[in-house]
Amino acid sequence: MTEILKDKVAIVTGAGRGIGRGIALLFARHGARVVVNDPGVNVDGSTDDSSRPAAQVVEEIEQLGGQAVANYDSVADFHAGESLVRQALTTFGRLDSVVTSHGILRDRMIFNMSEQEWGDVINVHLKGTFNVVKHACSHFRDQKSGSIVTMTSESGLIGNAGQANYGAAKSGIAGFTKVVARDMGRYGVTCNSIAPRAVTRMTATVSPSKREQLPGDFAIASAEGDGVRMAPEDVAPFSVYLASDYAVNINGQVFLVYGNTIALMTQPRISKAIFKPQGYWTVEELRIAMPRDVCAELVNPAPPRDTN
Amino acid sequence: MAERILDGKVAIVTGAGRGIGKAIAILMAQHGAKVVVNDLGVSMDGSDPSRRPADDTVSAIIEDGGSAVANYASVVGIESAESIIQEALDTYGRLDILANPAGILRDRMIFNMTEQEWDEVIRVHLTGHFSLIKPVSTIFRKQGAGSIITFSSTSGLIGNAGQANYGAAKDGVAGLTRVVARDLGRYGVRCNCISPGADTRMTASVPQSVRTARRQRAASGVSELPQLELERPPEAVAPVAVWLASDEARDINGQIFHVSGGQVGVMTQPEPMRVIQKSSTGPWALEEIAAIFPSTLGRDMVNPSPPAS
Repeated sequence: MTEILKDKVAIVTGAGRGIGRGIALLFARHGARVVVNDPGVNVDGSTDDSSRPAAQVVEEIEQLGGQAVANYDSVADFHAGESLVRQALTTFGRLDSVVTSHGILRDRMIFNMSEQEWGDVINVHLKGTFNVVKHACSHFRDQKSGSIVTMTSESGLIGNAGQANYGAAKSGIAGFTKVVARDMGRYGVTCNSIAPRAVTRMTATVSPSKREQLPGDFAIASAEGDGVRMAPEDVAPFSVYLASDYAVNINGQVFLVYGNTIALMTQPRISKAIFKPQGYWTVEELRIAMPRDVCAELVNPAPPRDTN
Repeated sequence: MAERILDGKVAIVTGAGRGIGKAIAILMAQHGAKVVVNDLGVSMDGSDPSRRPADDTVSAIIEDGGSAVANYASVVGIESAESIIQEALDTYGRLDILANPAGILRDRMIFNMTEQEWDEVIRVHLTGHFSLIKPVSTIFRKQGAGSIITFSSTSGLIGNAGQANYGAAKDGVAGLTRVVARDLGRYGVRCNCISPGADTRMTASVPQSVRTARRQRAASGVSELPQLELERPPEAVAPVAVWLASDEARDINGQIFHVSGGQVGVMTQPEPMRVIQKSSTGPWALEEIAAIFPSTLGRDMVNPSPPAS
């Protein structure tokens, strides 16, 4: 295994388990020194002092002959983002990569979702990503290099019932990534996002029937049963690639990664439009032009059910 | 006006004291809707709440022969949002339409952005949308009908320097729209999104340095949206909102429309564009990715902000 990340230092959030753990371990195998962040909470956010998954991952990395240090802060705290960056700098003397792969789920149909279920998910995913990336960017800007990999989801990019909070947070992270790419690119910093598919502790709370409804254009129905591999470790190689010097000019992109598959996602663009060089369209004109010229091929993703 | 396509309907329009919201409220009323004109009436930095902007819009609608009532509550927080909805139910007895263009800006480069600048923008735009949509969805679900119109921005859909908070909030709204469309479509409820380009008080608050940087990027060909030299009055957005709110758009759900001056278009949704797959089951080795990426997924890829030389 090449030491492509030799001399580099990385922060990986949510690295105690699942996708984050896979990334932390592979970063270390490729020579990076890693700050392994994980508060060790349960999927519902409650604390569980009996397990310190971050410490276990640090131990695994050390057994491989690598270097790592644990961090137990919740990235939902703004100051935790700052101390995480400081810990990388004081422990290893530099910082080159940030991977934000922490997360929680609170699935609920929109009409039943509580304010807290909304707030918890937005706070952990979206603000947690901001908290770490913002502070890393101050350092990366001075250093004139750095790579940021965020985690988004098809749940927000495409849409998945029962996940208004998670879909909003994850689509928000995609938008955040595109702006940070534009803010930081000129300083030699890259910011890209991965929409992973993996069977982890987090997705285990999703019912099997729901998992089969995962959107996408692939011949893939569910994690088990059809032979499609979706191990959390499978997200790691492409994360290493994005953090490596191979990818210094890959910026502002969104990728779908699972099993043996890596896909580049399209960025939204105007597909069909009507245009007036002067003035604007009236309602009367739109009543004719919208169904005919703009909306003809649109499909309702959840057409009304005949309840009678 | 040939036909009032919103006759008998009741609408909530937020941020309706000025700009896009005001234009939507007035045009919806002209098309027969009774409108709850919601606006905090604050200045761009969130201070000095005033009833004046909402009251002015209501006066304009009533002078025009329409029906409207002013509401001054914040869109943030379910309790406050419920008070806006209650205003519609108490005054007009029903609710059919929610349009939520209310918003603020706190532009700053990511490395200088404060926690407060982040929080305020996420709260107003993203949590504001949720706070209204959640209670509205229980009403719309029960009545088996309703139109929700959310507001996104190319700042998040495509990306715009200096707006990490706004871009995150607005692409978050797009994701929220996609999920709500899937949660409620089966009940005959629609949730669509407008990404407006309009010159309003809000866009006028963008600092001159940021405007100059964006113009330079556009001139160097880095800007991703065609920069058409259009008049972009907020009134241009309103007809699309009226059409989406009407029964004629009953099959339109989960879509994002870009409206800027005389241009009205539907945006594509993200989807896999190019795929690489190993014939054996994963995972990829780094060397394999490095060998194949540049000629496959990386082909023609453009860095939207290349390093300054």
